[in-house]
Amino acid sequence: MQQTHINREIIGRYIGQPGQLPPALRARIERDWGDEPVQLYALADLDAGLRLGESWVALGPRRVAVARALPDANGSDRGWDIHSIDRERIQAVQESPGLSANTLMLLGAPDDPPLAVARYTQRQRGAFENIRFVLDEAIVGRTVKPDADADQVYADAVARPIRDAQALVSRHRATVILRLLKYLAPYRRQVNFGMGAAAIITMVSLVPPYLAGYIIDSVVRPVQEGTLSRDAAATIAWIAVATMAVLYGIRQTAAHLRLKLMSVLGELVARDLRAELYEHIQRLSLSFFSRKKTGSLITRVTSDTDRLWDFVAFGVVDVSLSLIMLIGLSTVLLLMDWRLGLVMTIPVPLLCWLIYQHGERLNRVFLRAWRKWSRVTDVLSDTIPGIKVVKAFNQESREINRFGERNEAVTDEFNRIHRMWTTFWPLLMLAVHATTVTVWVFAMPRLLGDGAPLSAGVFVSFLLYTTMFVAPIEVIGQMARTMNRATSSAHRVFEVLDSEPEVRDSQKPVRLEPVRGAVSFENVTFAYDGVRQVLRGISFQVQPGELIGLVGPSGGGKSTVVNLLARFYDVTGGAVRVDGVDVRKLDSGHYRRQLGMVLQDPYLFHGTVLENIRYGHNEASLGAVIAAAKAANAHDFICKLGQGYDTVVGERGHTLSGGERQRVSIARAILHDPRILILDEATSSVDTETEREIQVALERLIAGRTVFAIAHRLSTLRRASRLFVLEQGKLAESGTHRELLSIPDGIYRRLYEMQLQLQ
Amino acid sequence: MNTLERATPAYRENPQRAIVLRNLGDGRLMAILGENAVAIKLRQCFPWSEPARHISLRDSDDKEIALVDDPASLDAESRQALELALAEAGFVLEVTRVTDIEEEIEIRQWTVETRQGPRSFQTHLDDWPRVLPPGGLLIRDVGGDLYRLAEPQRLDKKSRALLWAFVD
Repeated sequence: MQQTHINREIIGRYIGQPGQLPPALRARIERDWGDEPVQLYALADLDAGLRLGESWVALGPRRVAVARALPDANGSDRGWDIHSIDRERIQAVQESPGLSANTLMLLGAPDDPPLAVARYTQRQRGAFENIRFVLDEAIVGRTVKPDADADQVYADAVARPIRDAQALVSRHRATVILRLLKYLAPYRRQVNFGMGAAAIITMVSLVPPYLAGYIIDSVVRPVQEGTLSRDAAATIAWIAVATMAVLYGIRQTAAHLRLKLMSVLGELVARDLRAELYEHIQRLSLSFFSRKKTGSLITRVTSDTDRLWDFVAFGVVDVSLSLIMLIGLSTVLLLMDWRLGLVMTIPVPLLCWLIYQHGERLNRVFLRAWRKWSRVTDVLSDTIPGIKVVKAFNQESREINRFGERNEAVTDEFNRIHRMWTTFWPLLMLAVHATTVTVWVFAMPRLLGDGAPLSAGVFVSFLLYTTMFVAPIEVIGQMARTMNRATSSAHRVFEVLDSEPEVRDSQKPVRLEPVRGAVSFENVTFAYDGVRQVLRGISFQVQPGELIGLVGPSGGGKSTVVNLLARFYDVTGGAVRVDGVDVRKLDSGHYRRQLGMVLQDPYLFHGTVLENIRYGHNEASLGAVIAAAKAANAHDFICKLGQGYDTVVGERGHTLSGGERQRVSIARAILHDPRILILDEATSSVDTETEREIQVALERLIAGRTVFAIAHRLSTLRRASRLFVLEQGKLAESGTHRELLSIPDGIYRRLYEMQLQLQ
Repeated sequence: MNTLERATPAYRENPQRAIVLRNLGDGRLMAILGENAVAIKLRQCFPWSEPARHISLRDSDDKEIALVDDPASLDAESRQALELALAEAGFVLEVTRVTDIEEEIEIRQWTVETRQGPRSFQTHLDDWPRVLPPGGLLIRDVGGDLYRLAEPQRLDKKSRALLWAFVD
């Protein structure tokens, strides 16, 4: 429900199209259909003349309705022209995709005109694909009953591109900042000390100019006028100087404390965020990772938390300190002399606004420079990895010129930025100086005795205070940018933290100790998006110790079967049972410890060969590691590596060949000693000789376990107890290699013969 | 056999010259290739470099059944049918005014007026408008829709100011 709410918010806020099929229209369609429900619907946002408009296509169990908005003369209640078609009349569904306009035609008898035509932009394509899928399935005799609510499916299809692109947490910046500041709660003491130190810095900074004025008015002038003795004046002066020295000492001590406390505090908050974020990422389901780019997730854990450190450590304090400083300065000046005080304080909001405006203008130029900078990096990321092609086609000069032009263009933009800021800041300082001159203009006659009296001391204090205005004005002017940067990072971090794992353990999870390895699929259906089923009613039973080969054309559902067995996803319908227990009731962590996987492209972590084999079993003895490596046919090549089992491999480490990586991963699986083993194309990316070695290793690995092996090369599965042929999400054939070959026109037989011809 | 299935015997002699296209007026475009009439859809090989030439005619399985290099080689009725269908296949939203461009978290929000009506769309922050070979800009939003600004320099002052960062 929450997801639907977010999707509707996205549609309303960004897309500006209806968040659902208008309820009155839906009610009318359902009434016309004799109270049959609308199962799916989509918005056709282009009319026949390819103008943006509003028509709806709704799908029911037996009918499809096309509702076109009737033009309204008064702009009041709109009517709908609804045209319903019996689904049984639809013989074909044809979609013609264009650059931005797609046409969906529901076709009846070959010579008849289309039953319905809908035109729509790419934005609506997901929603139309859902409808098309159900109709296509019906045409070939398969009934699909969408499991999810129609509103939910529509909102998800329309909002998904934006949701996937954006971290949408809260539209209110203040809410995000407040949530971020809650991370300071465990460090309340440090925050109080840090803020206290900052307040001391502000207050103490206000004293020296006042003292300077006091010394002039109460010491220097009386001495010069002879109303104060030199001895008394010296005493007062030295006390004032000592006070000033003490105050500077206090100020710097407070500054030291503030910097130390707040930077450490920022680091602690960033650490907490990083830890929470990483822990949460580990718990999220695979579907989350398929939606988000790896780079984007890494950035969130690293750069974004670092930026938040900067904000917590300095941004929060700087902004609050500057506000306090500006208020303090203005108050002091107005109290000392309200006329000069007004001269000084009235321009402050204007100066803040000018800095803000300068920041906004600079942003636009930065945007332009960023665009041109990306064109420079495009050349680099094209030509450096592709240098072989550049050289082979003798294109070095062309590439040098291309880079040169773009480099020039970006330099022009950077120079524009430099021109802007180097002009603005001196001008701003000129404005500050102009204010100071104005203070002089107003003060001079009064110093000379015209108008309200003004002492030299007060005037000097004023001049000193004016220099203190610049820094806080700058911080306040840039406050919007600081807040923007922090909220952007916070949004990205909180989006991950707010994502819920789709696969969760039940309240009282069951532990199978040990797993025997009996697996059953009971009428399992599964759809990654809730509509398009990739598995349709699959049922089978596997006894402990059986080797099951999963074969069939690509997209048939083989990987989905093993994904469900590993409980990376939960079934949409039916149940997957291990030793008679529904996997949704199992303690997934405990269950997966008894499950092993050897993948087509095994991943080795950065670390030694030993650490990679031991991954998940740090307690394994070195003898056990060697035994596992021997069983995996890996011991020999590992010994030949420069530092044997202690050689660093993986990213940035020693590069192993595909076959070597595979054997290390098999050794890892052997040490893991799983009761259920999944082999996903374990030998598909290696040469024949290596394949033979891996095959020998695999035979040792699979002994005594329940194994599900996916393989395109059917010859590798001859030893399988049974083969399951999956096609279009159904279990099309099952049996031994020999049994399946004996089926005339069988899928397995056809695939096997095709592969024989290729050899 | 319906009227469209009447064969064009010249097809076998010279397939390029003998392609006959008919627009049925109900959204369908048919090609008469020899003995058969088939429902087809179009793909422009060069939607921006040469939008009106090199048109791939494809059947319902998206397999190319013929390539029209030059529509001038077709008879008048076929050419008209092709042009009509091309208008749909090559349709993109044409921006006539930019009302607002706002940067949000990880996306850029565009509010525009198009020849087809008002529209809001979003692009990734690091997705930049593309300069087209015949001139003008092309923007692709996160949903895959395309927006063309044929002559950005001739838009109104506000639009030009908003687009300044995106135009060379």
